[in-house]
Amino acid sequence: MSVIEYDVIVIGAGAAGLTAAAWLAEQKLRVALVTAGEPTACLSTGCIDVCSRSDQPLHGIAGLPDEHPFHRVSPETLKQALEDFRRMMADMDMPYEGTLEENRLVLSAIGTFKTTCLVPATMHASPQSDEEKIHLITFTGLKDFYPGYLLSRLRNASFSSYDAGVSTTMGIAAHFEDRAFLETFLLWLERQNIREDKIAFPAVLGLESSSFVLNQIESRLERPVFEIPTLPPSMPGRRLFNVMKDHLRRRGGVIYWNWPVVGVEKSGRQIEAVTTEAQGRPNSLNARAFILATGSFVGGGLYANRDRIVEKVFNLPVFAPENRDDWFEQDYFSMNHGIGQAGIPVDEAFCPQGSPWNNIFVCGSILARTETLKNGCGHGFAIATGRAAARSCLERLK
Amino acid sequence: MTFEHCIRCTICVENCPVFRVQPEFPGPKQAGPDAQRFRIGREKSIDDWVLLCSQCKRCEMACPCGVEPAQIILRVQQRYGMEHPHSPAHLLFANNYYLSALGSMTAPLANRIAATKIGKKILGQMGIATYIPFPKFSFKTLSGEKKTRSRGNRKVAFFYGCFINFYRPDIGRKIIRMLQSFQINVVLPPQVCCGLPALGNGNLALARTFAQKNVASLSNYIDAGYDIVYTCTSCGLCLLQDYQGILEIPEAKKIAENSYDLHEYLLKLIAEREISPVFREVNRSLAYHIPCHLRALKIGYPAADLMKRIPGLDVAILDDACCGLSGSYGFKKTNEAAACELGARAVSLIRKTGAEAIVADCGSCRMQLSGLSTMDAFDPAEILCESLGIRNKK
Ligand SMILES: Cc1cc2nc3c(=O)[nH]c(=O)nc-3n(C[C@H](O)[C@H](O)[C@H](O)COP(=O)(O)OP(=O)(O)OC[C@H]3O[C@@H](n4cnc5c(N)ncnc54)[C@H](O)[C@@H]3O)c2cc1C
Ligand code: SF4
Ligand code: SF4
Repeated sequence: MSVIEYDVIVIGAGAAGLTAAAWLAEQKLRVALVTAGEPTACLSTGCIDVCSRSDQPLHGIAGLPDEHPFHRVSPETLKQALEDFRRMMADMDMPYEGTLEENRLVLSAIGTFKTTCLVPATMHASPQSDEEKIHLITFTGLKDFYPGYLLSRLRNASFSSYDAGVSTTMGIAAHFEDRAFLETFLLWLERQNIREDKIAFPAVLGLESSSFVLNQIESRLERPVFEIPTLPPSMPGRRLFNVMKDHLRRRGGVIYWNWPVVGVEKSGRQIEAVTTEAQGRPNSLNARAFILATGSFVGGGLYANRDRIVEKVFNLPVFAPENRDDWFEQDYFSMNHGIGQAGIPVDEAFCPQGSPWNNIFVCGSILARTETLKNGCGHGFAIATGRAAARSCLERLK
Repeated sequence: MTFEHCIRCTICVENCPVFRVQPEFPGPKQAGPDAQRFRIGREKSIDDWVLLCSQCKRCEMACPCGVEPAQIILRVQQRYGMEHPHSPAHLLFANNYYLSALGSMTAPLANRIAATKIGKKILGQMGIATYIPFPKFSFKTLSGEKKTRSRGNRKVAFFYGCFINFYRPDIGRKIIRMLQSFQINVVLPPQVCCGLPALGNGNLALARTFAQKNVASLSNYIDAGYDIVYTCTSCGLCLLQDYQGILEIPEAKKIAENSYDLHEYLLKLIAEREISPVFREVNRSLAYHIPCHLRALKIGYPAADLMKRIPGLDVAILDDACCGLSGSYGFKKTNEAAACELGARAVSLIRKTGAEAIVADCGSCRMQLSGLSTMDAFDPAEILCESLGIRNKK
């Protein structure tokens, strides 16, 4: 028996779980989110991939195989979910740009282009071809960011380098939160006599105040500025996570950190509580319904044994290619590894198929046949299914 | 140790407050799982930068793979402490308990000396930072309090911790009155420092001595039907986590199973319908700074749940920033700059909320935040008492 009884407990703090929890909290339900750790969003570019396999996300979705879980989300729900996402991010001073009609390109740290749907305002000016005239600012000793890659692929680019006194993305981003540092930096930047049309930065322009920092640079240098996403630690990914998390809290949701679910309490066809091992004694939380958003293998929702793939919280039936030989292709870098299909198959209401429980809803990359990599169904898919599963959960609770 | 499970995602690094501001510290990933592969039992440890970790545990709370970098580092810190001589500041803070006892016995004098220029200079030479005022010793400690009893059949043994005992016994007295107002029997079991300061300063043997004493005492009370209630979240974490973990105290599991955070305990009694407090209006807007160690306890934010029930009270929850003091960490000269910078960030987040005062469970967080911001900082229990109309006798 737990101290507080919630209406819904969401498991997992990824894009899917945070979306579902915030929406339910907005509907005035008592919502708690429990999470083992921080999600894959923190490792990401912060861009919202909806379906990157085609130039147009909606076409891309239409072209997905019939069994793909994206077909379980109605076009209205998808649109609403992304619109709400954009509104929320704008309200929290981290606006996103882009539409469901068209995908766009974002310059990556190795000079290639990534296809995505919504981008943070700090990447809005990212070039759409390798012809654009770009001046790249890099930082002395910055780890994991090599201007050489970019310069070799962009035809009209040059660079200069600033010594920020630290050599990590996190450290530099923290410096940009300091007005005095920013001012010194701006003066230096003005002295560089940059001729190119746009100025590029590795994504280190602040932690909480990226919009402000970007505006300051743009207005002083009078031309568009954009960030290039880096390898993790990725600041745009962290900003996305931080804002989504703050939003949930403002809506009244409660978050339990460091709370890996290790067991459940059940009765009849209902899950009654989830439990964790909290410093020596089991700690449980009760709710009327549960939303599973624990992600795929990286997020920790799925685990592969030698012969079988297991879902770690409720031990739900998992779909995976029958034959273990079909889990992997020969080519390591292939986007087509069969194991990408592994996950939880659900019905129209996002309830797990073939499971005895009737108060569990599933969303995000743990859904069977998502194939995040192959289809480019990233955060956008997580946000859309998070919203759809939450809605269906609300209907069940009424 | 699960360092093999690290997928090198760097999420812990992003969450490490020290890494943010202290370039010499390579961060939890390198100091923890990465370096662990190269640490061999036979060789003396040379990585003195492990001492820069403040044991805030934020890395552990963020890691998606359950790696626990802070635990790995804590063990290396203890080993380092065993293999190298301790600095005066480390020795001093490890023995904080004895010193505080002395300070309290001689409170008027000790407080005056600590506040003078000469006093500060002496502290400085010992490697102790004085950027925020040193806490004032209280002459009447809580442990000197007479036994207090009421009629109920719930029995609580109160683990009040050093901060309340030596510096703010008034808060301790209020907590006791509050529990008694619910017809709970409260006793003050014999207790010493939980041992965390000793651990934090690389003094495993001393920490173990403290732990054994506490466990022996508390265990008796548990056998006699008492629940243990603690109020300092760092004492709590040490009691629950370190006694079973690094200190390997045989009866620690029993302690963990029967110890509760004060607010967690009140919520439990409310849920079990044993008590039903009537909260009266409190017109305040507060910024609730969540201590890192409260988060690490995995019990949610019970004081926030209680304060939510107080009419008129506006509480903004802040759990992204470490106050930077981390017990005695920030009091060391070597860490002063880092502690100040982190504190400044925490304060700026607090100011953004527009709150008029701070509330935090941990005494040292309060000391740091009110010292840097000159705002009032309360224990959540003080706010509850205000709402319940519980005051100390003059
Ligand atoms: C390195 C990397 C980069 C990426 N870059 C992009 C990008 O740029 N753009 C994009 O759109 N997509 C990107 N993606 C894909 C995208 O991150 C995911 O598809 C999507 O965000 C999945 O979100 P989710 O909520 O389903 O799960 P996840 O983000 O995987 O989150 C799962 C959560 O569940 C928690 N959890 C797991 N098990 C338990 C348990 N037992 N108890 C409690 N909690 C648990 C985890 O701690 C975590 O918080 C990237 C993925 C990776 C791995
Ligand atoms: S310790 Fe955990 S958070 Fe840190 S890099 Fe390894 S897996 Fe990631
Ligand atoms: S315990 Fe805190 S200071 Fe130490 S490595 Fe982890 S996050 Fe950093």
